[in-house]
Amino acid sequence: MGKIKEKIGVSEKIEEELKAIFSGDIPWVTIVWDDPVNLMTYVTYVLMELFGYNKEKAHELMMKVHTEGKAVVSTGSREEMEHDVARLHEYGLWATLQRGDQAL
Amino acid sequence: MSEVQHGFFRHGDNAYLANFTEAEREVLLNLAEQIIELLAERVDHHSDDPLAAMVGITVHDTPPEDEVLLRLLPNAYADQVDASEFRRYTESTLRQKKQAHAMAMRMHIKAAVDGVIELDHDSANAWLGAMNDVRLALGVRLKVEENTHQELELLAPDDPMRGVYAVYSWLGWLQESLIDALMDESQ
Repeated sequence: MGKIKEKIGVSEKIEEELKAIFSGDIPWVTIVWDDPVNLMTYVTYVLMELFGYNKEKAHELMMKVHTEGKAVVSTGSREEMEHDVARLHEYGLWATLQRGDQAL
Repeated sequence: MSEVQHGFFRHGDNAYLANFTEAEREVLLNLAEQIIELLAERVDHHSDDPLAAMVGITVHDTPPEDEVLLRLLPNAYADQVDASEFRRYTESTLRQKKQAHAMAMRMHIKAAVDGVIELDHDSANAWLGAMNDVRLALGVRLKVEENTHQELELLAPDDPMRGVYAVYSWLGWLQESLIDALMDESQ
């Protein structure tokens, strides 16, 4: 890639980005959004059940959702995050997934 | 059995009990059945391709127009193209899973002996999911987003939403009691 880089001026950053695209290791994130219906204890409980988080971590994430309107609850491959979102929807939490490098 | 209402409480390692009156069981049964019906596949959502239908792929990929259904089956992506693609492959499964929670709830209510419901950890989770779906559905109708709880508390006695809000609040309390029982580490 050395010569091409010189010719078209591909920066290190773009090269890294391209590498990540082809190797598929750009992390994706699952976001839970605040909802006026879901009980705070319920959100905490679901995060513990689905992700195996301890009570402290689940409570901390729930509080972040509650006070900031949203929180990243898991990170991984796109497939893993699709699985997480599907499980959160099953239990009625309002969740979406997106690439980890996109603005929340 | 005591007349005092406790909601769910823990009994031993893996049992969660609640004692409901006949009227309460009727309300719960009715709500479970409404959720089961609401989540039934829309007629226009069946695929003409039997193989696609068998693996849960639907032809339609647009979000439900009904506000309640949209809250129960939300978009997984902010991007509409990604959201449609995801919905096409997963909405049918999500409907079935949510229906299964409500069906478990219906089954336990019907099987209750002397009004006592006994759940294990897994069935407690199904109940939590089903009660939450009911609350989400009622929450949309009550416009919980716009109305404060104080406003909802002050609904006129002849306002039909007053009864809906009473059920919504009661279910929240019941859900909370089951979560407390599940998270009770003292036993």
